[in-house]
Amino acid sequence: MTTLTINNKKYDLDLKGHEILLEVLRNNLGFTGTKTACEESECGTCCVNIGGKSILSCITLACDVADKAITTIEGLADGEKLHPVQQAYIDHGAVQCGFCIPGLIMSSKALLEKNPEPTREEIDYALDGNLCRCAGYLKIYEAVIHAGKEMKQLAGTNKN
Amino acid sequence: MTTPRHTFNKAYVNPVGKSVPRIDGKGIVTGQTKYAFDVSFPNMLVGKMIRSTIPHGRILSIDTSKAEALPGVRAIITAKDTHNIKFGSNEYFFPHTIDQMAIESEKVRYVGDEIGAIAAVDEETADAALKLIDVKYEELPAVVDVLEAMKPGAPQIHESRNNIAVILPVNFGNADRALKESDYVREDLFYTPAAHMAALEPHVCVGQWETFSNKITLWASSQAPFKCREALAKTLKMDLNDVRVIKMAVGGGFGGKLEMLPMDFAACLLSKKAGGLPVKICCNREEEFLATRRKHGMIYKIKSGVKKDGTLMAITGEVIADGGAYCSYGPTVIAAAIMRIFMLYKIQHFRVTGYRVYTNTPISGAMRGFGGVQAGFAIESHMDMLAEGIGMDPVEFRLKNITTPNMVTINKMVLTTNGLKECIDKAIESCEWKKKHGKQKDICRGIGIGIAADVMGSKMYKSHESAGSIVKVEEDGSVYLFTGAADTGQGSNTALSQIAAQELGVSYSRIRCKSGDTEITPFDTGSFASRVTFISGNATLLAARDAKKQVLNVVAEEFKLNAEDLDIMAEEVINKKDKSIITSFDKALELCYAFNYGRQIIGRGSYNPKTTPIDFRTGEGNVSGSYGFEAQIAEVEVNKETGEVKILKMWDAHDIGKAINPQSAEAQIEGSLAMGIGYTFLENLHFDKKGRPANGNFANYRLPRGFGMPPIECIMVETNDPEGPFGAKGMGEAALLPTSAAIANAIFDAVGIRIKELPITPAKIIKALKEKEVNEKNQQQHLTEAKTL
Amino acid sequence: MLLNPLTFHTPTTISQAAELYSTLGGARILAGGTFLLNSLKLLKRKGLKTPKNVISLKRIPELVGMTADSQGLTIGSMTTIDEIFESPLLKDNFQVLRIVCRNISTQPIRNVATLGGNLTCRYTWTEMPAVMIGLEAQLHFIDNKGQASSLSAEEFYKAAAKTDKILTHVRIPRDTKAAIAYRRARKSSNVDIPLLSLLIKTYFEGNRFTKTHVSVNNCVAFAQRDQVLEQFLNAAVCSKTIAQEALDHLDKNIYDNRSDEYKQHIFRISIKGAIEELITKQAKKS
Repeated sequence: MTTLTINNKKYDLDLKGHEILLEVLRNNLGFTGTKTACEESECGTCCVNIGGKSILSCITLACDVADKAITTIEGLADGEKLHPVQQAYIDHGAVQCGFCIPGLIMSSKALLEKNPEPTREEIDYALDGNLCRCAGYLKIYEAVIHAGKEMKQLAGTNKN
Repeated sequence: MTTPRHTFNKAYVNPVGKSVPRIDGKGIVTGQTKYAFDVSFPNMLVGKMIRSTIPHGRILSIDTSKAEALPGVRAIITAKDTHNIKFGSNEYFFPHTIDQMAIESEKVRYVGDEIGAIAAVDEETADAALKLIDVKYEELPAVVDVLEAMKPGAPQIHESRNNIAVILPVNFGNADRALKESDYVREDLFYTPAAHMAALEPHVCVGQWETFSNKITLWASSQAPFKCREALAKTLKMDLNDVRVIKMAVGGGFGGKLEMLPMDFAACLLSKKAGGLPVKICCNREEEFLATRRKHGMIYKIKSGVKKDGTLMAITGEVIADGGAYCSYGPTVIAAAIMRIFMLYKIQHFRVTGYRVYTNTPISGAMRGFGGVQAGFAIESHMDMLAEGIGMDPVEFRLKNITTPNMVTINKMVLTTNGLKECIDKAIESCEWKKKHGKQKDICRGIGIGIAADVMGSKMYKSHESAGSIVKVEEDGSVYLFTGAADTGQGSNTALSQIAAQELGVSYSRIRCKSGDTEITPFDTGSFASRVTFISGNATLLAARDAKKQVLNVVAEEFKLNAEDLDIMAEEVINKKDKSIITSFDKALELCYAFNYGRQIIGRGSYNPKTTPIDFRTGEGNVSGSYGFEAQIAEVEVNKETGEVKILKMWDAHDIGKAINPQSAEAQIEGSLAMGIGYTFLENLHFDKKGRPANGNFANYRLPRGFGMPPIECIMVETNDPEGPFGAKGMGEAALLPTSAAIANAIFDAVGIRIKELPITPAKIIKALKEKEVNEKNQQQHLTEAKTL
Repeated sequence: MLLNPLTFHTPTTISQAAELYSTLGGARILAGGTFLLNSLKLLKRKGLKTPKNVISLKRIPELVGMTADSQGLTIGSMTTIDEIFESPLLKDNFQVLRIVCRNISTQPIRNVATLGGNLTCRYTWTEMPAVMIGLEAQLHFIDNKGQASSLSAEEFYKAAAKTDKILTHVRIPRDTKAAIAYRRARKSSNVDIPLLSLLIKTYFEGNRFTKTHVSVNNCVAFAQRDQVLEQFLNAAVCSKTIAQEALDHLDKNIYDNRSDEYKQHIFRISIKGAIEELITKQAKKS
């Protein structure tokens, strides 16, 4: 039995060893928020967060991350309350067809948790692995900048 | 006891013109929204298509026996299981272009052509079964180059067609005489490559055949669920209403999901053969590039003449479009490639012939722009070159020749609102054209312009292209909008909900939108040609108006007033005459559903623009109920050493009539522009000797990423179209039409070289710079020699 | 399933890993997985044979991490590209590594791709081989008997990077006097097909190049030094034209001649640019 920790919950799975994390998330556990569009680590729609980093679940073996905490898009909102990154994406018109959005939100979140005030260049660098065919990226960048400000403020209030 | 009521957000009253949040946004950002890609049922089977491995040949036999014997295989279909009925995309106006069968029975015409399908318990088994299918072909010579395909003696892909699917000769005035009368004539040849829609969600569907009732349900990723339904009914010989197509959230379409594909057909038929179990067929990225749809590569020859004062005298030329193995939207694409000129320029003398040609390569369909992208590059580059030839500023040249409001073009297009001049003027002002054009060569910077026009729809597969909407107001005050329009991510559900709320007089937060389910929503031809805001928007407006009237009739009856004197605005029923408030919307609804009245409020609307398709004998046709316009400017910096071109900034001034949702409109422009940038620099789908995509994956077919995006300034020009809902016209395509030319023109301004073949690569820039250097040296030499003589 | 069945091994010590690697025939090492996992998917799709055993190095703590001392920098083979990029230890004398890491692939890849993978896997395409040769790095290994050994990066690639040992760490000597320039040429800024990776290291004595190292990869059969160019530079005097002249003094035998005109052009301007960068930096110092 392999235990995976996803969004702070433990899931026991009978894994043989060759299962890719993306498959386990979507097919075994029903977390269909994480997508795939290329199966070859080019598109970023399969991004999840592990260890605070944006990780491509399509090139991750599920067994290899059994001892790590995995966060998927489904783990961000707190009930009805959206995570600042999610809210910012809606507020700034960054969402169109939405297929790239879970992966982009996960990469954005990883960036902002490390650096809540990234420069344009730092956003270029952090999001260069995520494709979007609809939006043209500009509103996505706007959303990232505003989400960062919000996250910084929240962190400040939490400290007090 | 009163019915519990919804609480409504007052902030979203009068939503038209406001950037209200997308109606489906929350589901998307939480990963909850379900695409066809995510659909899964108990006991669902995995389907795979059996595809041709040769580019051209006759099918002699298909032996499925070994595959059928494999444990876990539940159904296999080949042509003998079908009615062998052909389908196509321009059925009404071009019945002779109906040339594809869902499962080919006689011939295969490209590597990837569907000759059967398998349904098995899992993907492993389906893949193993595919390997056990034994097909015998009589291989025929193939032709993958479009010019080779047109030559006499080339292998014939379809019967007696000379490999030409469609010819469109467009002739007006006397082009030869006009050219003779011109002061400057030039001829140019432009090459635009094939490309791919590359929507992130691949083509995917789940089909289920309900065996006891003989009804089909298809969960689809589709831009045109009703078209899909029609094609399924036709090819499966079923009644239209026994076929239900449910459009799920769609992860991008861009023209690639506008038709039934063989996989949709196969999923349904496999389900029938498997005793009614649902069958899911999903393309992997390789199949996406190989066997769905792609963009027509085009060769655009154009020869035009102008007078010294800049008057455009005549345009002549030839367009050759590489259509791939079947016709798909060929006629519309070749028409769009030529006709858009008339929306932009006042031209009296014209002779251009378009050829849509078959080759043994993947099928070319209607990628966003429908041929207008390829044409945009050719025409707008060529116009700049004409201006250069007579020493005129390219903007002045455009202003001299562009169309105006309220005119009829030579091919009978009725242009009503036309903000083209305003778009150019505003763009020029914003980008400081006069300060920059021709003045930054020393720092290798340049600025260039391209203009484009947008249509709102086009009659294609049916004689009409109507849209229908239903607005149902519930007892608790929530409003349901049922529309056939297909939201594929561009935000049509949101825009239509805004229109419904505005007309009904209530907050946008009341609206729940259900779209694209052929059993529940009214008919709509689909999301293409930027038609949804205009056509489906008008249907929605009419439906909301109808619902409002029904409410007002009840209020009028109760309060003994004249219904014509009443209106609903900002959640209140008011008396138009003295602006007094009669009652609230909520109270009015309570009244409607109260026992004395008990009226259901169900509003309906239907809208069909008064348009005509292009007549392929004369080139005449008013294809759209209104026309949109745009001027796009690019400022670039060329690195002469590496050949890399950096886009410093882009400006897009867009006449969209009225922005229903300004943020959405901007997002559409930015997204369109990104696709245009991709086509200009990166995207080139090329084929090997067997007609297979040579770069059919994301590692080698490069899409634009965030770091490649320049700042973009969107300028909305609102001409308030009298026919559009609240003055709105459509948009969604125009912003990628002039991009390549604007950039190519800017490069010419920066470093004096002309690239006439897309994509513009560093290699081509370096080569052109070297050639320019050599030419200049030779010229200098001649001058020196001339001096010495 | 995307992959064929396999047995997944998670050794927790280097010797365990080395033992498994030498005893399990045809086993593959899983470091970051950015190459291996895609390749296993492709092999399955094409119906080809796939390895039955995969050995993950992720649970061996000694392989991760960076330390620095006055003599040099030590980087564990399982340190990710992103960790190297972010490391404050690069500050003095190792800034070039930051530039190298910056130009590797995309962020999600950099988050898991390792130095070891970049050095041993698909190494005619990757960035680090030429860099490690140029910086005169030593590659350290442990075999299945627990025996440690090391060899220079240059020797490693001459031997076609063949090894049955586990790469444990890389030791890069600290060099306070060297002037270094790095270039990575790709087909275009958006198309990650490598044309050239180049590192030039030299010691300026006045306006002369001395003890110059020119290491190249991607356009050559294996990462190696261009000794013809080194000799030319060592004999030359800094001037405005030296960078252009240098292009006529390349070791023609090692470079891939099949490249088209544009690739040759990019190639040449990269080398020229690197030399000019060194000269400019030197001029600023004086």
